[in-house]
Amino acid sequence: MISAVILQIIGLSLFVFGFFPVKPALSGVSGPESFYSDDGGDSDSVSNHTQTSLPPHLLKSLYQELSGIHPSFDRLILMVIDGLPAEFVLGKDGLPPREDFREAMPYTQALLSNGMAIGYHAKAAPPTAMVSGAIGGFLDVAFNFNTQAMLDDNLLGQFFRIGWKMVMLGDETWLKLFPGLFTRHDGVSSFYVKDTVQVDQNVSRHLESELNRDDWNLLILHYLGLDHVGHIGGRNSILMTPKLKEMDEVVKMIHLSTIQTRDNDQGKTLLVVVSDHGMTENGNHGGSSYEETDSLALFVGLKSDHSDYAASPCNSIYQVDIAPTLALLFDVPIPKNNVGVVISEAFDLLTDDKQLRVLELNSWQLLRLIQAQLPGLSCRNLPSHNGFTDGLASTIVECSGSMEKMLCCLYMNAVNLHSSWKSKSLSRSKSRDDYSCTAAAYHQFLKTASEWLSRRVTDKPVGLLAFGIVTMAVSSLTLLGLMICMSTEDQPGENQRLCNSITGMHKWSVNEIFLLGVMLILVMSMASSSMVEEEQYIWHFVLSTSYVLFLRKAVQPLASGSAKSLFKLMKGQTERHDIRISSIILLLISGRILRGWHQGGVNWAYLPDISKWLEQAGVNHVRSIQLASGLLVISLSMCALYLFGSRRKITRLFGLCFLICGLLVLWHLYHNNAFVSTSYDAAIQTQIIYAILGIATIGTFVVLPWFIPLCFPGTCSELNVKSTSVTFDGQCIFSLVEFRDSSYLIGLAYIICWCLLQLLLQQPINSMPILLLLVQIFSSMLYFSCSGLQHIEVEVALLYYMGMAGHFALGNSNTLATIDVAGAFIGLSSHSMFLSGILMFIITYASPMLFLLSMLMYISVKCTSYLANHQNVDLGHLAKMILGFPLSGSSGLEFNSTDFLHHCLGVNEKPFVCLECLLSKVLVCLCRNCLRLRRGLCRGCH
Amino acid sequence: MLDEFWRIVINGRSIKKGGGGGKENPSISISVPQAFLVHLISGLGLAISLWVAQKFYSINLVSHSSITLRLIWIVESATVILIYSRFRIDPQQCSYLKAVVRGILALPVGALVNALGAIALGAPVGIQYLPKTINWSLLMSSFTVAPAASVFGLSWTYWQRIFAQTKPNGPLEYMICIPAHGAVIGGWFGAWPMPLDWERPWQEWPVCVTYGAMTGYLVGMIVSSGFVLANGRRQRLKED
Repeated sequence: MISAVILQIIGLSLFVFGFFPVKPALSGVSGPESFYSDDGGDSDSVSNHTQTSLPPHLLKSLYQELSGIHPSFDRLILMVIDGLPAEFVLGKDGLPPREDFREAMPYTQALLSNGMAIGYHAKAAPPTAMVSGAIGGFLDVAFNFNTQAMLDDNLLGQFFRIGWKMVMLGDETWLKLFPGLFTRHDGVSSFYVKDTVQVDQNVSRHLESELNRDDWNLLILHYLGLDHVGHIGGRNSILMTPKLKEMDEVVKMIHLSTIQTRDNDQGKTLLVVVSDHGMTENGNHGGSSYEETDSLALFVGLKSDHSDYAASPCNSIYQVDIAPTLALLFDVPIPKNNVGVVISEAFDLLTDDKQLRVLELNSWQLLRLIQAQLPGLSCRNLPSHNGFTDGLASTIVECSGSMEKMLCCLYMNAVNLHSSWKSKSLSRSKSRDDYSCTAAAYHQFLKTASEWLSRRVTDKPVGLLAFGIVTMAVSSLTLLGLMICMSTEDQPGENQRLCNSITGMHKWSVNEIFLLGVMLILVMSMASSSMVEEEQYIWHFVLSTSYVLFLRKAVQPLASGSAKSLFKLMKGQTERHDIRISSIILLLISGRILRGWHQGGVNWAYLPDISKWLEQAGVNHVRSIQLASGLLVISLSMCALYLFGSRRKITRLFGLCFLICGLLVLWHLYHNNAFVSTSYDAAIQTQIIYAILGIATIGTFVVLPWFIPLCFPGTCSELNVKSTSVTFDGQCIFSLVEFRDSSYLIGLAYIICWCLLQLLLQQPINSMPILLLLVQIFSSMLYFSCSGLQHIEVEVALLYYMGMAGHFALGNSNTLATIDVAGAFIGLSSHSMFLSGILMFIITYASPMLFLLSMLMYISVKCTSYLANHQNVDLGHLAKMILGFPLSGSSGLEFNSTDFLHHCLGVNEKPFVCLECLLSKVLVCLCRNCLRLRRGLCRGCH
Repeated sequence: MLDEFWRIVINGRSIKKGGGGGKENPSISISVPQAFLVHLISGLGLAISLWVAQKFYSINLVSHSSITLRLIWIVESATVILIYSRFRIDPQQCSYLKAVVRGILALPVGALVNALGAIALGAPVGIQYLPKTINWSLLMSSFTVAPAASVFGLSWTYWQRIFAQTKPNGPLEYMICIPAHGAVIGGWFGAWPMPLDWERPWQEWPVCVTYGAMTGYLVGMIVSSGFVLANGRRQRLKED
């Protein structure tokens, strides 16, 4: 069985590696070495020394010196208009834009027709492409969110490194992507799609004062209003024209002020107006149709001779081209993973040798990327490379053959032409012809390389994928087979046990069949991409249906109870039923509130929900709810603790410990505002809380098993819990009791610790769902304590479903956009990718982990019912079943379904094998899930 | 007067006390053609109300879901309560009128239960959904609770057996139990297309759930007719 599990893990990892090809993206950032050719062997080592030690202004001058392109601009204003199709400004297919749109933007149109601005249709890529120039794979987006773009080289990072001061006004996604880079910022939320006015006013309100200041080098403006207009009314909305007018006003204001600053000799400013995507006729985006990907790139301030924009043949670029162009315009290295090609018109003002230098730098960078993808590639051993050749005819080689050779050959052509051009220019015999030849050769290489690289990103090793899937399928089947084997083996024993048991109904009732059928439903639903997008509906629906079925089951015996009232011990039975029914009703209510907390998903995310309502009600309400739920969490968990055993000193001690923790957390929440406070004190406070929580939990885990037996003097004082599995004598009942108690306490400690941690880390709005999840756990434990030992796997599955539903109730979804990045930096005094990764994991997988931790308590609860039912039965199976859990459970605190498998490694018991099968199905689901997700993301990840 | 009408229409309505005197056996039996007729009439009630809505008021579930639902539940609950009150289990203690009254009283109570169930399963809560939810739950109540209330009254055992344990006993219980379960299960399946992004008007609450419930109800009636038929045949064999 273990081998099957291992096989499963291997299959999964194969699949994952195949699926997310760890893109041979170059990590690190481009430094000065990017200005050297690869041929110069020793330049790398030199630059590596210099790069790390140089202060920003020196680095800046070094870059300027090395690149040899002296920038004509000092400041950059990047104006992002969300969702503006280029068609609105530039027209389509050589035709001018619609009359009303043209009239709406008189200033921009005038700029274009005067040749003051160059406009492009930019084919859209994921939003981050504008600054990093790379087309993101699936994980790329994840990494970008995850690590705050620290992994990926990007333009803003480069600017930051040369000491630029940056200001950002607009969509707060920028702050999430590039935290700490901006000197000043005013983020607006893109949350309220209905708002089309306020969202842009919030951006423009600081614009004037910013334009009057001269302490920044990069100003980013991100206007969301136009996108919102599109979402509400589509392309032809009546709000569209006023919105375009507003945008035009902004362009006018900026342009006039840039002229002014230039006249005052404060440096030249380049204004780049871009949109991140277009929109369809009814205002949606995310697909790959022309309307959706047709975004705008408008360079204002480059003096251009193209007076007639429409006649310009090459006014179509890719969005990724913006990044290298801007990088070279401002003399910073091109981001390492860029696949774009510089826009040559942007450099028209430069001399020929500088233009060629620009192309050369871009080619070097692309070649490096290609070499990273094809490690064996080296262009030097090709016969065509023979250093300095004079005749043009001898250097141009007809390029054919495989892609690698072709790329190499094109590159060599360009390099040879360039070097010959250089040598000629030294001898003053250069001609315009040679130059255009060289430029054409470079362009050919760049174009081919760029296309090849962009295609490469989306390629997948199909063989590896298929192998991974087959491996997983084989292991799933093996596990299934094993489970069937075991169940048939166990059959006689089972029957005997059942004869002994008081509640002898071993029939599969509707709810059990339903819960297992849910797995099938999920697998089927994964086939539809819109079901994947709206996965939370399935979980909530299925979960509440199963609650209703459990309720039905809880009501059932009442009928027979009233019918055969004489045969039953009425008192105890009805009490139990009351508990069951009330706990189920509690589950239903809390589940419904959890469902309504966050709307989530993709299509219906705009519908009202409780969290939006609360956020509109104001910060004070949210905070008071946060504090109240924090208080309730603490009191609830203290109740659970003291219900169990307040008599013992050790319990009291731990209770006190957690109480202090809880109060600290509350105090922290009370004193620090809802938003991430960056102050040093807050970080220290948080670290203290982390430490106390950690110590308390580990302490509970380590100390309790040693102390609990002491409370039973005279029985098995020398036996600790772990020897239970070895000794099977009469005293074991006692050690089982001890075990039950300690596992209950440890489980409770885990749960309390986790909840307090979540209260600290989650957004304030999510503190109430945490409380509800805790309530769910306790009430389900109450329910399970009343049910028998049958169908443990069903109840475990139910707990798992609860975890998943809670996951979505906390506002997560299958899009990466919902990952809460801000929380990952709470209590960290320095940027650490590892630690913030852990915190992010804790935040994201709060609910599944919580229910995983509650399994320990579940075991204890089951133990109780076991004790109640079987006084003299062979303890072997139960002990084995129970012991496997905490031992392995303590080890792994990383969530995945694989972690679940991990837990099962130590457990050779039937229900859990079944569970494992279930989970392997889940794994397959998850992978398919990822597949769908990937497809969805490819369509555009805005 | 209606009583007379029934006597003329259906020949030989036989009421017989169940043997053994226990509550377990149904105290009333219903003949196979009667069962068919009852199902036919309740099905027709549904069809007629839909037709009337379309024909005379030119409304349908998609465009005016609330009003249409109100029309349907009024017609359907009237039909169902009037028919099923004929087959009350305690005709000695309870007059026809009393059975009708208890059916009418049970209608809002059942609606409350149905509405709570729907909300628990995720029906939207909001002031703009309130009339729709109320009308829908009244319709569901006339599918599920109202006929049972007319027939069984407050006899708790029957309710438990039919709705909690799903162990119908005898043709009359089949006729109540199976269509009711069919309506609930149909409504459950009808909710599945709701979150999808097909952008169809019928994906709104409660349109597709109503369609699902009506379909389930009709299927349930067909199935229960089959059961009644099989039961009758078995009974006859036993008598032979």
